[in-house]
Amino acid sequence: MTRERIVSLRNPWFTRSVGITAAIAIVAAVVGFVWLPLQHPGERFKSVWDAICSAAGLVRNAAPGTQIVRADYPTTRVEIDPQMLSGASAESIGRGATLALRCTMCHGARGLSQADTPNLAGQYPVAIYKELLDFKTGARVSAIMAPLVADLSDADMRDLAAYYAYLPRVTSSGAAAGEAPPIVTSGAPLRSIAPCGACHGEVDSKASAAWLEGQPAVYLRTQLEAFASGARRNDIGEQMRNVARGMTAAEIDAASEFYARAQ
Amino acid sequence: MTHLSTSDEGADHGEQTERRWAAVAVAILVLLVVMATFAALYHGAMPQSRVETADPRTLHLGGEFIESNLGSALEPDGTVTVRFIGQQYSFTPSCILVPTDTPVTFRVTSADVVHGFLIDGTNINLMLVPGYISSLGARFETPGERLMPCHEFCSVGHEGMWGRIKIIDKAAFSRMAAERRRLSCVE
Ligand code: HEC
Ligand code: HEC
Ligand SMILES: [Cu+2]
Repeated sequence: MTRERIVSLRNPWFTRSVGITAAIAIVAAVVGFVWLPLQHPGERFKSVWDAICSAAGLVRNAAPGTQIVRADYPTTRVEIDPQMLSGASAESIGRGATLALRCTMCHGARGLSQADTPNLAGQYPVAIYKELLDFKTGARVSAIMAPLVADLSDADMRDLAAYYAYLPRVTSSGAAAGEAPPIVTSGAPLRSIAPCGACHGEVDSKASAAWLEGQPAVYLRTQLEAFASGARRNDIGEQMRNVARGMTAAEIDAASEFYARAQ
Repeated sequence: MTHLSTSDEGADHGEQTERRWAAVAVAILVLLVVMATFAALYHGAMPQSRVETADPRTLHLGGEFIESNLGSALEPDGTVTVRFIGQQYSFTPSCILVPTDTPVTFRVTSADVVHGFLIDGTNINLMLVPGYISSLGARFETPGERLMPCHEFCSVGHEGMWGRIKIIDKAAFSRMAAERRRLSCVE
């Protein structure tokens, strides 16, 4: 008994079913690849090929629309890589120690300062390196620090970062810092403030965010106020300005006092 | 003889059933295509029309996501483009200003990990994936203020990541746009 071949143009079932399926596929493809994307605002039809490539996920950056508005103040030029300064060599630390002789006057012999100048001992190297670069480009404004970094090379800054990161942090005097204020422990979610420790190292570290414990209260308060007013704007993507703007004066005080006590 | 004729009848019957089933299958296919098209047009369930990239590590160094270019821009054709970024743990600008009755295009990206962009009370809901620009068209009819929670867990400070969007009268927006090229409601 000979059976008719199924896959054959002479089989009307085959031609019709394949024909109808193909027709649906073509209509769906035109709708999906060409017609629907054109319903997006601002899309113009260029060619079927272009439409298919876009819809299929080929990367095509849009022509820049309006002109880009540039800042009329210096912004940070530092590209952060969390691993960028890990694994410093002993030579690098040694060179940093020599360079640091110019810094001891204010930042202390072992990176622990007496006055209201920030401590540098045990600071994250990425934070030190970034701040030095920002002082140099003017992204972070300080009449005191600017002339001191003017003649430092990129390698000098890396060495200084390695040296200060290597020094031990403020040692705990055993005195309890007292209870952390709510702004430090839980932030203020409805004002878009995450807990400080989510970025500053107690819980998790955001590369370039400094270790705050043991810093002078006056220094912390000044920096928080500067972020809030926009006088300091070297934080990438406004991440710290967004936090400081939402803080009340009382919260700024409480956080500064707490971190100055916590060692 | 009789035997043969009954078998013929059976074949006829079988062919008719098969044709019906084929019709049902085709109808299901067509219905699915129509449903997908309808959802795309009337419920905004439509993927982005093009894939665009942006390096999350260098957003602040150049291109459209530098901080001075973020916020709402009134385009020459009267539409509004809103650019912002999501990062651990805030949106920048943290308060977005848009006008009523105007086509608005959002262009958003992430500077670190995956974040979510959702406007409370609307069907606007996107994922912000580092490396890619998410874009979306929208139109707001009524003035008011809405919340923009990040809805993708983005690490320990995630619960503190809330943005706001303020929808204001079109005329007031135009007056502000005449004075500043990028608008936001960050005080
Ligand atoms: C004349 C005093 C003085 C000297 C010398 C000095 N600094 Fe500073 N430094 C300051 C002050 C004051 C600040 C705080 C600046 C501000 O208020 O923004 C500061 C800030 C810094 C910061 C930022 C700290 C932070 O946590 O953000 C770094 C890093 C730093 N100095 C490194 C150095 C290095 C490295 C040297 C030596 C090459 C040096 N400083 C020399 C006074 C000094
Ligand atoms: C989203 C992460 C994030 C959170 C949350 C955050 N910060 Fe920061 N903060 C940063 C980053 C990043 C910097 C470094 C900015 C830069 O690049 O100079 C910074 C810098 C600072 C500085 C300046 C340090 C110095 O020596 O230069 C202070 C002070 C500070 N933060 C205090 C706080 C306090 C207090 C809180 C909690 C209320 C807080 N931050 C919450 C990310 C954060
Ligand atoms: Cu998030």
